[in-house]
Amino acid sequence: MTKPSDILSDDVKRKISEIGRADILVGIPSYNNSATIGHVVKAVQAGLYKYFSDKRSILVNSDGGSVDNTINIVKDSGIDSNSILIHKHEENLYKIITPYQGIPGKGSAFRTIFEIARVLDVKACAVVDSDLRSITPEWIELLISPVLNDGFDFIAPYYLRHKYDGTITNSIIYPMTRMLYGKCIRQPIGGDFGFSGKLAEFFTKKDVWETDVARFGIDIWMTTTAVANGFKICQSFLGAKIHDPKDPAAALSTMLHQVVNSLFNLMEEYSSVWKKVDDSENIPTFGFVYTVGLEPVNVNLMPMIDKFKLGVKELSILYEEFLSPELLKFLSGMIDLPVNKFVFPDEIWVKILYDFAIACHKKIINTEHIIKSLTPLYLGKVASFVIESKDANSEEVEQRLESLCLTFLKEKPYLIKRWVKK
Amino acid sequence: MLQFLEEIFKQPLEDFLDIIQKFLPNILTSMLILVFGFLIAWIVRIILGKIAKLLKVEKFLKNTGIARILKNSGITRSPIKVLRRLLYWTIVFVFATMALIILKVPAMENLLERFFLYLPNVFIAGLLLVIGYLAANFVGRVILITQVNAGVKYAGILSKTVKFIIFIFAFAMAVEQLGIGRETILIAFSITFGGIVLALALAIGFGGKDIAREFLEKKFKGSSEEDDTFKHM
Repeated sequence: MTKPSDILSDDVKRKISEIGRADILVGIPSYNNSATIGHVVKAVQAGLYKYFSDKRSILVNSDGGSVDNTINIVKDSGIDSNSILIHKHEENLYKIITPYQGIPGKGSAFRTIFEIARVLDVKACAVVDSDLRSITPEWIELLISPVLNDGFDFIAPYYLRHKYDGTITNSIIYPMTRMLYGKCIRQPIGGDFGFSGKLAEFFTKKDVWETDVARFGIDIWMTTTAVANGFKICQSFLGAKIHDPKDPAAALSTMLHQVVNSLFNLMEEYSSVWKKVDDSENIPTFGFVYTVGLEPVNVNLMPMIDKFKLGVKELSILYEEFLSPELLKFLSGMIDLPVNKFVFPDEIWVKILYDFAIACHKKIINTEHIIKSLTPLYLGKVASFVIESKDANSEEVEQRLESLCLTFLKEKPYLIKRWVKK
Repeated sequence: MLQFLEEIFKQPLEDFLDIIQKFLPNILTSMLILVFGFLIAWIVRIILGKIAKLLKVEKFLKNTGIARILKNSGITRSPIKVLRRLLYWTIVFVFATMALIILKVPAMENLLERFFLYLPNVFIAGLLLVIGYLAANFVGRVILITQVNAGVKYAGILSKTVKFIIFIFAFAMAVEQLGIGRETILIAFSITFGGIVLALALAIGFGGKDIAREFLEKKFKGSSEEDDTFKHM
């Protein structure tokens, strides 16, 4: 057992020394998730009992100072083995419940989980969100087995989601990650990942815990770090992803900033890697892909279009600093479009994102200002997507997304040319 | 009579010529120093331009984004041109001061002494204006982006108002530092600032109560975005 770092509390260090070593670790970050965390803990325990009863496992809850009953629920949650017909091996499963240190955010919670995994020298890890309603024991098997049985280092989730769900993923993160690193990872910021102990140790060595990685940026950081450093990656089909409906959409600008800022920072770090990539390839997918019924999603279109128009009108003075005149002209033209003709073409969206990335790279103005000014344009793209895919089924939506990804790849020389140009 | 005329004209004329005789070399030296100052300033300006061209400073400033930052702060001229002009006039100013000292006029010496004692105030006032200008631009931009993202229709006006208030505040501080109409400025600023606040309060109270209600409802009850149930991530 290696020496634990100071980010772990004395209680955790004591508990770790009692446990000694473990094969599997499942981490659950939480903050006031009393409504859902009980179900998540039960699903994780059931998954560990059912599929890995012969392994020494540990469940880590890394909490951000919940003031509801989250911690007590994690402590008390257990499964009735008779009701789900599995044989329990309680002596092989341990629980650590600890508050994390550092900047409040999911990334800091993960840091504690990685550190515990490193010290216990675990072979395979998984992290799952605490607001999940659709998690089943099979998720644990699908996130852990590829590491233990097939030697994969990083397992990204692959879910079925409503066509209007995960719009940052669909319009920015998935196509950009695919274009940059050449791997078709459908949910790069899914939030539920599997990874090897080796990769967990690699994560702990990185000095990123004072940046946006400590917050919402952690997911894209984990995925990119794994891909760009040549770790063996795959994805597992987990079925539907249904969150706690209390997940706020109000902090969109902050969330978008944290994720996109992390993406752009990673572009700086791995520029020598992504510049060489000119195509993309599928990655191995585990799990049986099936169709599931998804919860309906309400979309309020007009506020999105209004915010887009307001943004183009008021922020054009800022956009002039880094968007090309053709893009500005096009955006201005969109202000007068009626809703039924409101179309945000893929080529324009791709070039806008590239210009934003280049503006941050060249630090034309404060990068936080640059990225936060993307919000109205992003809402415009989402609104356009909602209008265009009103009657489309999930297959047609995936085809549209594929077309967007190909546009990102086609326009990549534009990005590279302007990135290197002094 | 001749003696009388001699007393009236000759003596003062002789005194005057004596003063001129004593003062003329000082004037000539002073003018020479001033001309020399202009010459040195011109040469330094030329040399600085050549060095900047040789070292590709313009390109460096452009690549590092410094030129952009200055442009964003309202300095639209080339930074090198600004620096050359600044250096030119600083040199001219130094030589002009030396030229004035050489004149050895007691009143001028007294004036110069007072001027040099006052100079730190000018420097601080200038600094306050620059900081105020930069802060106004930065805060104005933050407010503009935040309010646009929150969907506030009057984001532009709000941002410009805040920018204006910050700059006026910096301007009032700078003028106070210079000691110009200290109390008048303070009163004028208080009246203007109070007036703006009162105008805003009245505007919201009478004309903009619906906007205020909409804003507060958005702030405390949550925006219409929450009608959406889709997740961005």
